[in-house]
Amino acid sequence: MSSLSRASLRYLWRHPWQLVLAVLGIALGVAVVVSVDLTNESVRRAFDLSVQAVAGEASHQIIGGPSGLDETLYTQLRVELGMRDSAPLIDIYGKARASTLHVVGIDPLAEIPFRGRFVKQQDAAVRTLLSTPGTVLMDASTARRLDLSVDDRFKITVGGHAHEIQLVGLFGSHDSNPAALDSLVITDIATVQAISNQPGRLSRIDLKLRNDNGTAAVLKRIHSILQPGARVVDAESRSHALLQMTRAFRTNLTAMSLLALVVGMFLIYNTVTFAVLQRRGLIASLRLLGVTRGQVFRLILGETLLLGLIGSVLGLLIGFTLAQGLVHLVTRTVNDHYFVLTVGELVIMPWPLLKGLALGVVATLLAALLPAVEAARTEPHAALQRSGIEVRARSLVPRLAMTGLALTLGALVLLVLPSRSLLLGFAVLFLMILGLTLMSPLVVSWLTHAVLPLAGRLFGIQTRLALGGVVASLSRTGVAIAALMLAVATTVGVGVMVDSFRSTVEQWLSSTLRADLYVSAPGLSTIRPEMALDMAVLERVREVPGVAAISTGSQIMVESDGRLIELFALGLGHSILPRYPLKAGDPGQVWPAFLANRGVLISEPLAWHQRLTIGDLIPIHTDTGIRAFPVLGIYYDYSSEQGEVLMQRSLYEQHFEDHAVSALGLYLSPDADLQRVIELVRDATLDTQYLMVRSNRTVRETSLAIFDRTFAVTNVLRLLAVIVAFIGILSAFMALQLERVRELGVLRATGFTPGQVTGMVTAQTGFMGFTAGLLAIPTGLVLAEILIEVINRRSFGWSMKTVVSADVFLQALALALVAAILAGLYPGWRMAHTPTARALRQE
Amino acid sequence: MQYPIYLVVVFLAATLAAITWMAVDMDSASEPAVMLTVGDALGDHDSSGYARADGARQFRFPDDHGAHPRFRNEWWYFTGNLSAANGRRFGYQFVIFRIALKPESSIHPSRWASNQVYMSHFALTDPHEQRFIFHERFSRPAIGLAGAQSQPFRVWLENWSVTEVSDNKWEMHASTPNMRLQLELQPVKPVVLQGEHGLSRKNSTPGNASYYYSIPRLTTHGTVTIDEVTHTVDGESWLDREWSTSALGVDQVGWDWFSLQLSNGYDLMFYQLRRKDGATDPFSSGTLIDPDGQTESLRGNDISIEVLKTWQSHRGGRYPSRWRLRIPSRDMDMVIRPIQADQELDVSVRYWEGAVDFTGQQDGVEITGHGYVELTGYE
Repeated sequence: MSSLSRASLRYLWRHPWQLVLAVLGIALGVAVVVSVDLTNESVRRAFDLSVQAVAGEASHQIIGGPSGLDETLYTQLRVELGMRDSAPLIDIYGKARASTLHVVGIDPLAEIPFRGRFVKQQDAAVRTLLSTPGTVLMDASTARRLDLSVDDRFKITVGGHAHEIQLVGLFGSHDSNPAALDSLVITDIATVQAISNQPGRLSRIDLKLRNDNGTAAVLKRIHSILQPGARVVDAESRSHALLQMTRAFRTNLTAMSLLALVVGMFLIYNTVTFAVLQRRGLIASLRLLGVTRGQVFRLILGETLLLGLIGSVLGLLIGFTLAQGLVHLVTRTVNDHYFVLTVGELVIMPWPLLKGLALGVVATLLAALLPAVEAARTEPHAALQRSGIEVRARSLVPRLAMTGLALTLGALVLLVLPSRSLLLGFAVLFLMILGLTLMSPLVVSWLTHAVLPLAGRLFGIQTRLALGGVVASLSRTGVAIAALMLAVATTVGVGVMVDSFRSTVEQWLSSTLRADLYVSAPGLSTIRPEMALDMAVLERVREVPGVAAISTGSQIMVESDGRLIELFALGLGHSILPRYPLKAGDPGQVWPAFLANRGVLISEPLAWHQRLTIGDLIPIHTDTGIRAFPVLGIYYDYSSEQGEVLMQRSLYEQHFEDHAVSALGLYLSPDADLQRVIELVRDATLDTQYLMVRSNRTVRETSLAIFDRTFAVTNVLRLLAVIVAFIGILSAFMALQLERVRELGVLRATGFTPGQVTGMVTAQTGFMGFTAGLLAIPTGLVLAEILIEVINRRSFGWSMKTVVSADVFLQALALALVAAILAGLYPGWRMAHTPTARALRQE
Repeated sequence: MQYPIYLVVVFLAATLAAITWMAVDMDSASEPAVMLTVGDALGDHDSSGYARADGARQFRFPDDHGAHPRFRNEWWYFTGNLSAANGRRFGYQFVIFRIALKPESSIHPSRWASNQVYMSHFALTDPHEQRFIFHERFSRPAIGLAGAQSQPFRVWLENWSVTEVSDNKWEMHASTPNMRLQLELQPVKPVVLQGEHGLSRKNSTPGNASYYYSIPRLTTHGTVTIDEVTHTVDGESWLDREWSTSALGVDQVGWDWFSLQLSNGYDLMFYQLRRKDGATDPFSSGTLIDPDGQTESLRGNDISIEVLKTWQSHRGGRYPSRWRLRIPSRDMDMVIRPIQADQELDVSVRYWEGAVDFTGQQDGVEITGHGYVELTGYE
């Protein structure tokens, strides 16, 4: 080791707190990015694997409308067309022993070309599956988790009905990722048709078509026997369409993590700058001793590289731990809103880890580049005085502000561009943040000059000195304030966005949920009543005294223009009028036309995604083929981000062979007692299926609870950004104050008491915190507006009213102040208690 | 510093080997073949709940052409010798098996539920190219995928089928990506009940027997398409129908079965059951059918069969491959030769089923003919 490196290391060793905080700052920045990346990748891979495990080797799939396919299509395919490479499949979700299970019904005799692993070396079990209905296979780890062994019987609940089934075998998972097979239950088609009460129906038929000239001819023959509503799709594009549903959600998560990295980068920059500036004496001495500029430059960079590496590796570890928590939050959100994903395992992939490592090291190096150049450029004699730097830094402030202004203007230009690109939206967001941040030192300087005379007159010389110090060492205070401002602005922006979103949803819920009671069978997704109600339920409920009118609802997934969207079939009882809040359309015209089945209504996100407006036709794959429905109006909806079509029940039944109803809305007579009616409904349906009977209020509360759950991830990330900022501020402010030991020593020598010195330090950090908090408010509001009007809109198509509460501002100010004052405590205490002589000796 | 290169080479070789191994493993994937073994199909393990072939039976046609699902096993067994106008020979075997997995069939809301499985073997012998192509399929008798019915007669497994198209005329369709059989079959002899009025005992245990009838001659006309070349063919087929619950005894390992169509209008069916110790079981039996369809039962000791030559299968078994068959009481003596040695079906139950020719004498008069031989239990 060279004496240079030794000198450097010894310096770092003597400032352990700074070292720890610098490493921690880098580590947390990296950790946030890595954890979100790992989580996203895990969810995506879990999805891929679970799709693959069930999709198998299929090249194409025949899929039907919402009620699936008529099973006779399979007979035709095999007997008339002799299509041997075809396999029927029906899949459903059920609950057993508090776990959600994906139950897949297959024909074991047709499986080998597709999902051979389930039936290979399973002859005895396959014979049992075939000959004994109610028998199933699963993989060993799922069986262990459910505490089941072969031959055990257990209960599975599907759509409120419990069925007893028996585990008769375990299929091997040695040849693949066990996560793919987790929660998968394989059984014969007959069993699934029975427990899901869908005799005669198939979810799909898998095909394996060779990729050659003959394929077109084969497809043509298949098309000739397809029932209306059924069609052949490319297996890959189908699963792609499913995954696409979560794209916007995942993009937003990634953006949040990038935001954390940006904050992290600021702090890394801050830390490194300090490390360099503080050593300017050491560097000057080294230069005087004959150390070249190149050596100084390399020394600084090498040292930073080491810091970056240690911090990044630590960041990977923290990120990994963090991801384990995040993956559950994200899986829950995916299950709440998109599709049932039974895999919650964190998969460690090299790519996100490498990316995090590279990001941490590169960010650190970039942050160190400027200070390193600065240090290398330093003339030995100049390095011994600080003022040179500060003079240069102050002359830089207006230039930075100009750059910031230019960036802000650039962001505004991008904003008015007629674009729907989400990427561009994020560009606007980041440009705006960067622009506003760059302008902050100038504003700090103005602000300080503005309050300086007043503060001096009001609070005396110490305050005047304290505030003057902020401007005097703007090269560092500026960066520290900017970093704190950015962190606080992020929490303000995200907070305002979430608040606005929540209040919009709350308002929307109260105007949409009109019935007094809602009845549904427990579905698998928390908010979607997807399971069909028994026919008897409707009849029984109708007889319950106190029920004045009933509306029915049925939610299904349909395809439109290659996208999967939701369709809500609304059956209105007598004297109930639909009252969905409309975004576009005159209620006086829209609702009569809707009731006359002249068309459908579409939700705001759907209108956004498919660029539809009133009068357009929306194509929908129905059981009778593709049909185009006129759009009568656009309504607000926050329940589905892929979009929803609202169709009247009678119109729905013309186009879909589906008479199932998945939810009932009960309107009670004015004198009815809510609790009493709930009990009566429960009693009347006791012998049908397990039902959820919920009051209007419960549904509203449940919906909001899911909303809050969805944003739990956001809040976690927001919190992390604040922690990263806090640590950075702590290290920056501490370094800043520790550096002033000599200056304060002089003050002590001139008669300042320890209390006065502490007060001065606190006043300075407090002022910086206050300034950061103050600047964070407008910046946060701008951020919130961009999130609401650009990011959310372009991701999901939702519009929402901005709601700003005073709380958010108070919180921002408090956060910034507390962070800053806390950061000043230790240096203040230390300086106050340092003997004056030692303080003056400095190094 | 040479060794790292070797290491790389070794590593690459190992990777390649692993990939090859996995690829081979995937190739060997066929249908879940071990749906049944000889033991499953014909052994006398637990048979409770099934009907048994344990007494005389009044056969009724066409009803008995259909399925008898209360018995464990059943088959519709077509074999035939065909030739094209240019003299090119083909042998074909087309058989549909019905196998009950459980004696009882429960009432179930799904039409897919079934206690039965159908299996089919389709093989073509092409001595001109010295090739033997065989396929095995499974399906279930549910939602019309497979089944058997008597009026009109039809037995099918997906798009492989034999269907009665008019009175006394059946059509057979079987195709795979590289071969297709489309035949029209017309019985020229009446149904022949084998054994004791159709009850064919396989050993001394009552119930270890099958109900067994044949249509020994069906004139056959149609096309054989192989590798996209279609040959118009004519010839003769043989239908064996048999259903049972258990047949072989514990000490019986397999059988040699002969169905021979003689140039003088006679047909001969004979099987001999082989025991573990290599001896021929006394329950071996056969039937000689005269040109008018009159039958004469043959017991094991009425016939002598001498193996003149064997064939070693590369899959392991050694099969008889030339026989001298004599029926002294009828002054019959002939030598039977497979039209090609390899006619082994490597399916879930490996066996040999092949077209044969023979020459010999009956009552001092030269006879020739063709037929089919089935050899099981030689693995």
